[in-house]
Amino acid sequence: MQYILNGLPIGAIYALVALGFSLTYASAGVLNWAQGDIVMLGAFLGFTFFQVMNLGFSVSLCISMFTLAVIGIMVQFFILRPLQKRQAPEINVVIATLGVAIIMRNIALIIWGADAQIIPSPVSNNPIQFSMLSITPQDILIIAIGILIMLILQVFLKYTTEGRALRAVAQDRYAAIVMGIDAERSDAIAFAASSALGAAAGILVAPVFFITFNMGVGIGLKGFVAAVIGGLGNIPGAIAGGFFLGVVESLAGGQISSGYRDAITFALLILVLWLKPTGLFLQKTRQKV
Amino acid sequence: MSKVLSSAKENFLFVVVLIGLVPMVLTNNYYLHIINLAGIYTLITLGLNLLFGYTGQVSMGQAGYFAIGTYVSALLMFNLQFSFWLTLPLVLITCAVGGAVIGIPAMKLSGPYLVLATVGFGEIIRLILLNWTPVTKGAAGLTGIPLPEFFGIKLSSEQDFYYLIMSFLLLGTYIAYRLAQSKIGRTFSAIREDELAAEAMGVPINRYKIAAFIISAMYAGIAGALYGGFSGVASPDNFTFEDSVGFLCMSVIGGSWSISGAVIGAFMLTILSEALRAFQAYRLIIYGVILIFTVIYMPQGLAGLIQERKIRIVARLNTVKPSGRP
Repeated sequence: MQYILNGLPIGAIYALVALGFSLTYASAGVLNWAQGDIVMLGAFLGFTFFQVMNLGFSVSLCISMFTLAVIGIMVQFFILRPLQKRQAPEINVVIATLGVAIIMRNIALIIWGADAQIIPSPVSNNPIQFSMLSITPQDILIIAIGILIMLILQVFLKYTTEGRALRAVAQDRYAAIVMGIDAERSDAIAFAASSALGAAAGILVAPVFFITFNMGVGIGLKGFVAAVIGGLGNIPGAIAGGFFLGVVESLAGGQISSGYRDAITFALLILVLWLKPTGLFLQKTRQKV
Repeated sequence: MSKVLSSAKENFLFVVVLIGLVPMVLTNNYYLHIINLAGIYTLITLGLNLLFGYTGQVSMGQAGYFAIGTYVSALLMFNLQFSFWLTLPLVLITCAVGGAVIGIPAMKLSGPYLVLATVGFGEIIRLILLNWTPVTKGAAGLTGIPLPEFFGIKLSSEQDFYYLIMSFLLLGTYIAYRLAQSKIGRTFSAIREDELAAEAMGVPINRYKIAAFIISAMYAGIAGALYGGFSGVASPDNFTFEDSVGFLCMSVIGGSWSISGAVIGAFMLTILSEALRAFQAYRLIIYGVILIFTVIYMPQGLAGLIQERKIRIVARLNTVKPSGRP
């Protein structure tokens, strides 16, 4: 039981990253491999605003999310658009975002150096006891902010014109274009939103783990795994997948072996992919001719 | 003129002689070392091109097979006193099994799901190497891997390895070339172009897909065995996800849909990354920019670019001949 509870905060962070993956995949049909490095940039920007410039935690969170959203739009504009215009195969787009990830990682290395940094937690780190279980206020904060951001995203997708347009594009891109929706603008919004989500995940993870220039690879992979478990492109699935992965990892690490924790996660993943290729939470769709 | 350009056999002989002469001119060990490394990477990229460029199945876990090759060969030499040559068939068998492990689930997967399955495989292998300490020595890795012998002669200098690696490279390139030209190669292309149409034409696509995975795994495995003997050391840090991405970069930048593309990509990127070694972070930024530039502006890679030029030159030569003109 304690392990399940321990898995929830990291699960919330995975869910935010997974949402980023799913959002761009649903709208633009792009697997944005730079998502993990966006998380890393978010963490470092948060570190700079919060630690170096002494802005408040929530202010730092908002500024980093905004900055990353702008970067996301730039990636969409300068890299995705030319590729779409040339009708590049899906895998080439993935490789282009791999290039973006490499560039981001090394720019971070040049700016912030190779040393690990840490953002001190804005709240206390002493566990609170609930009979058998204990949880730190910091974990509660992570889960709370995570869920708050997910709710804001849901409201955005359900009740604003841009959000509705984005969902329409995700459902059927060409039908949406025919109905007069600017699909490229939707893509830009999806990239901005998913980058902002990544930035939030980065700042939330920073008090728990050390932040380093190459943290993006690990956390990006985990977020991707969570997104696939939930069914890539499926928004509620991504959230469920994130929490599911967090709990499974915590259980595997606590009950079986901490060294093999990630190996177990990936083995489970290949099994899931083999048995149910479209994710655990999605109906299987047949390929149509 | 077009006859010269098309006679593959003469070109091949020319290349063999050229490769044989290189160490006589290039006596600097450091340069030879880089060429050897590039040769090993070329073998991996060749396998990746058959899988990715020809069959259209992406793999971001080639470092896993590379690692299997190195560790299986080295551990057999350490623990059972096998000779280097005797380990090769066993490396091939292990990698074939490893290829099938990913190839079988890959029958059902495509796009991002396939990417993830292969990434997962590579990570699992790396984590096993890291954690199975009694056998693999964990993070410290293996040191003092025995040198390969050739009829009683211990291969030790860079020059010896140059000839060993180049022999394997020539053989590997030849096999890949013949495969690509054969019925199998054409079937691979058919699967890449339109899987459903290929299946409708009666191609057993699952069998061919698994075959492509197994072949690429075998190439990476042999490269791994050579790498172990060549460098003498191996640790899990040599076989990370970043390395898999690097191999994919070589394939894409060189041109994934051609055999020469593998050679061009692997040599270019290996030499480039050595030349820019002093500018660590900037080097990788340049890498990233080249990668993005390639997929946007020349999706066929450098080999595609060269091929295009060649066709244009031949076409021009043919039109210059005043054969049909009055």
